[in-house]
Amino acid sequence: MTLDAEAARLTADKRALPSATIRRPHRVVASGLVWVLPLLVFIGVGFNLPLLMTAAWSLVDQVSGGFTLANYVDFATSKIYLTVVLRTGRVALTVSLICALVGYPLAYWMTGLSRRGQMFALGIIVTSFWVSILVRTYAWIVVLGNAGIVNRTLQAVGLTDKPIPFLYNEVGVTIGMVNVLLPFMLLPLYAAMLQIDPRLRPMAYTLGASSGQFFRRIFFPLTLPALAATFVLVFILSLGFYITPAILGGGKVPLIANMLDILINQFPRWNLAAAISIVLLVLTLALYAVYQLLRRKT
Amino acid sequence: MSDAAMERREASVAGSALATVAVAVLLFLALPIIIVVPMSFSSAESLRFPPPGFSLRWYESFFGDPQWIEAGINSVIIGVSSSTIALALGTIAAYGLVRGDFRGRTLLESNFIAPMVLPPVIVAVAFYIFFAKLGILGNYLALIAAHAVLATPYVVLLMSLAIRAFDIRIEQVALTLGATRIQMLTRVLLPNIVPSAAAAWLFAFVISFDEVVVTLFVSGTHLTIPKRMFNQLVLQINPTITAIATLLIGFSIVAVALAAWLTRGTNTVSGSRRS
Repeated sequence: MTLDAEAARLTADKRALPSATIRRPHRVVASGLVWVLPLLVFIGVGFNLPLLMTAAWSLVDQVSGGFTLANYVDFATSKIYLTVVLRTGRVALTVSLICALVGYPLAYWMTGLSRRGQMFALGIIVTSFWVSILVRTYAWIVVLGNAGIVNRTLQAVGLTDKPIPFLYNEVGVTIGMVNVLLPFMLLPLYAAMLQIDPRLRPMAYTLGASSGQFFRRIFFPLTLPALAATFVLVFILSLGFYITPAILGGGKVPLIANMLDILINQFPRWNLAAAISIVLLVLTLALYAVYQLLRRKT
Repeated sequence: MSDAAMERREASVAGSALATVAVAVLLFLALPIIIVVPMSFSSAESLRFPPPGFSLRWYESFFGDPQWIEAGINSVIIGVSSSTIALALGTIAAYGLVRGDFRGRTLLESNFIAPMVLPPVIVAVAFYIFFAKLGILGNYLALIAAHAVLATPYVVLLMSLAIRAFDIRIEQVALTLGATRIQMLTRVLLPNIVPSAAAAWLFAFVISFDEVVVTLFVSGTHLTIPKRMFNQLVLQINPTITAIATLLIGFSIVAVALAAWLTRGTNTVSGSRRS
């Protein structure tokens, strides 16, 4: 290319540039649909279709193969399933409450740390978050077992003379679930707390508020939507928990997810399992909508 | 004592109570790692803490067990293939979602994120029924596809962020200078989002490598590391698991630190580019 042609091209481009910036920014691809198509097909076939099939199967009678609502009726009326559902609700509520009660103070404390202190605390939380759930659950067997550290300490101190059973009951399951789910509460809560204008504190103090008053009347109300949102998030995650109840509950504390496993893998009642999955799915989506609503308020 | 002094005293008492609670909670979070890592080097036959002596026997028993090695190889193959599929499909889709202008974009995005949001057990039941009906339950490729579905949301989220952070005007300049769309993508956009893509791939790999519930439901006879761990944990307590757990902890920390470092790289790159 000659220099002249190069120069002509550059000037042409210079003229072209302003018009390009005037165009609406995300109009670069007139139809982005083409780009989305491969994933749409993949997710459509590999994810949406299985879910739709599950929904269809929940409405099929296992024996006759005809349309029925019996699977849902079975689930709603049987006492066994009701027990598991109630237990799941109770555990999920306890876990979310404990997470809120211990997570909020930690997140609040972190906002007052030095930059290095915040990084250190975040490092612990993020590390714990990314360590395999199996590893964390496994550790609790060692910690909470009859010959575990907690029981040996309690006995050494003389608080109890025989080991307290922490494992294979709701206590152990709850402790394990709190450990796994706490980061899900801490990380968004801490992020929301950092969003709060730091100038509010000196402002409140200048107007005569004590630090307690500042917390009660300004900081806490401002972080309440975030706390509610993270509470709902942890609750949703607890509802579908499988690993921790299976291992720390030792089969004695089945939650809905473990019940689904039994219905699928032990006595094949796929249609009932499908119906329970769909109920759990609808419940999850409804709660997720609540979570999004609360999150938008923060 | 003056009111102000009293108030300060109360505040400091409240402050130290808060600090105590906070440190205790951090300790609670870190406890599994604090316990498992030293125990993996224990010489004791049973799980005892603190360990009575140092030994590498549990690492030897892991690396000497063909079933663990088989599980490890499967985990790596499934992780590499599924995260590569997720990266390819997810990145292309992220480009369409960020730069495209069509109706139902947010709806599609929610659909792509859904596998991450739904409880794994629901996805597991759905896969189980679907694969069983198709007659591919326990099929290796089906297992890879299932993992790819689960890893996709992470890629879509991370790559959307990366593409959004890349100045669209640079793309427009390339196009007005006569580059074709493909040239622009391969020579302008892609080189700039490589670190994010690497991070997204790592996240997807970790997600697949850690996945238990769906794997338990659909893998048939194929073993993966988490699946074999789960089976062993339900049956008995085997100290070999401490060694694997420690290796997994190390692996997760390295992978996530690497991913964090890589994405930090993009921010600096795009930041310096803009200035």
